[in-house]
Amino acid sequence: MLALLTDYTVQTVILGALLLGLTSGALGSFAVLRQQSLLGDALSHAALPGIALGFLVAGSRSLPALLAGALITAVAAALTITLLLRRSRLKSDAAIGISLSLYFAVGVVLLSYVQGSAGAGQAGLESFLFGQAAAMLRSDLVVMSVLALASLALLLALWKEFEVTSFDPVFAASIGLPVVLLDAVMTAMIALAVVLGLQMVGVVLMSAMIVAPAVAARQWTDRLDSMTILAALLAALSGVVGALISATARGLSTGPLIVLALTVITLVSLAFAPKRGWIASSLARRRARRNLHEHQVLDILQGLALRHDDAAYLSEEGMVDSALGVRARTTLQQLERQGLVERDSHRPEEGPHWRLTAEGREAQGNALHSGGKA
Amino acid sequence: MSEAKIHEPNLAIHVEDLTVNYGSHPALWDVDLDVPPGVMAAIVGPNGAGKSTLLKAILGLVTPTAGHVYILGRPFGEQRRRVGYVPQRTSVDWDFPTRVLDVVTMGLYGELGWLRRPGRAERERALAALEQVGMVDYQDRQIAQLSGGQQQRTFLARALVQDADVLFLDEPMAGVDATSEAAILSVMRDLRAEGKTLLVVHHDLQTVRTTFDWMALLNVRLIAQGSVEEVYTRENLQEAYGGNVALLAATPQEDRPLGT
Repeated sequence: MLALLTDYTVQTVILGALLLGLTSGALGSFAVLRQQSLLGDALSHAALPGIALGFLVAGSRSLPALLAGALITAVAAALTITLLLRRSRLKSDAAIGISLSLYFAVGVVLLSYVQGSAGAGQAGLESFLFGQAAAMLRSDLVVMSVLALASLALLLALWKEFEVTSFDPVFAASIGLPVVLLDAVMTAMIALAVVLGLQMVGVVLMSAMIVAPAVAARQWTDRLDSMTILAALLAALSGVVGALISATARGLSTGPLIVLALTVITLVSLAFAPKRGWIASSLARRRARRNLHEHQVLDILQGLALRHDDAAYLSEEGMVDSALGVRARTTLQQLERQGLVERDSHRPEEGPHWRLTAEGREAQGNALHSGGKA
Repeated sequence: MSEAKIHEPNLAIHVEDLTVNYGSHPALWDVDLDVPPGVMAAIVGPNGAGKSTLLKAILGLVTPTAGHVYILGRPFGEQRRRVGYVPQRTSVDWDFPTRVLDVVTMGLYGELGWLRRPGRAERERALAALEQVGMVDYQDRQIAQLSGGQQQRTFLARALVQDADVLFLDEPMAGVDATSEAAILSVMRDLRAEGKTLLVVHHDLQTVRTTFDWMALLNVRLIAQGSVEEVYTRENLQEAYGGNVALLAATPQEDRPLGT
């Protein structure tokens, strides 16, 4: 393990994954909260033609040129989506879908052109489809750090403006904030985060780095600042885990491993988070259902007692079943444990009979009083 | 142009020729609105009359095709700091990860300006506003855990910290419980007593007379404006709503005072 960490390539990849995670996690929080989860997908696919164009213009596989090209076409795709939404009756999912496939198709065409043209055999641009972390150089890391730190610094500087425009854009406009401009800056920053991940994770999987950390983080916290920080940390953690696994297991590519690690974190968060998780909410639902059944069964027993004008009336369990609509045995036993009902065992041949205890009658009387019926 | 900047200085809100188009339909047509200072004014009209649009156009949130807006004698753009806004509660995602106190603090973001962060002073002011609407105990609640009325009171507190002279409220009483309605109404009356002006989109014809002292009847065009006694007539209501309000206008004893 230690030997791994001192390996030059592995170090580079781990640092890159860390930077990418911090950026995409933090900015992805805003993408998800603004209900633009799909935007990341559209932007990353739209980066492909830009990569090819960057290569054609620069004439070499220089990362700054490729990233600049990718950023330009990704932002162009965002503009296309905005225009489609403004000038047509398309809904945002359709607009995003159209833009995504259009730019991606152009990208694939350009890519095949680059591959076919002279001296480009070594371009290796197709590695941007699924990412190729091992191809990262120290100089790439410098470019990544500068861009990542710049966008995080901008996020911090404009924090409260992004907060209020994301929560309530109409109110934000009413206090004089340039909401359209802030939206454009946020979209450009998300595009930048996407572009940063192209070399490592690739066009196809990059949107997971935007959406999944935010979804996972939202499960654990109710505050924007802690959600953003947590999303950044979870994405960074997945980056490092993915990079380490890929370094130990020969031949497994880093990008998909990062996304898989992230998916595991997200699924765990969706399932186990204390308030919003599946388990917590299904337990809460079960508690509520059990409570409801208990009240219903008490009402049924009381109703039967009232009809027979006998406070200690013994109701047959089958009648309680049919009045409740489901088997009442479990509920009756719970109530028995609470001392609210008791089971009559004098005539076993007639099947189980139940009645309210004095305590149960008192509880019902109070409930009826506050409920106001009777 | 500068000598023309002070315009109708005796009016809190002065709107001239305001016209807004949505697609090819006018949502507002040639609206002239004058609201004197220190009143609680209702904008009343049928669904689709452009009530919310009027508020948004005054606040510059939708771009009018034509028209001018003056607040306390000066163009709206110069008076933004003197204006507060309570949007419709349903306009935001209440599952947004934020707490009540954070939302109220957002009311101070305009005043704070770029790059400055809210600190202790802002927190104190936000708490004072929460006190006014009776929500101090909920300051740390996630906003999804509030009732509709509590959400509305949170929005009202956010407008209160703006310390505005003219407040615009979009359906503040829609879908709120009786407690919240009473709290909201009492805050609105306090504001009026302090000499502030309130322009309120109001959906309930029954309560207009007992709640407001000034009203504007709107149905794309402005039908009538003035004191409630002057405007709340059968003819005006019929013109705004069509025939089916005759009963309402005829039976004032059915009016229910709001917030009592």
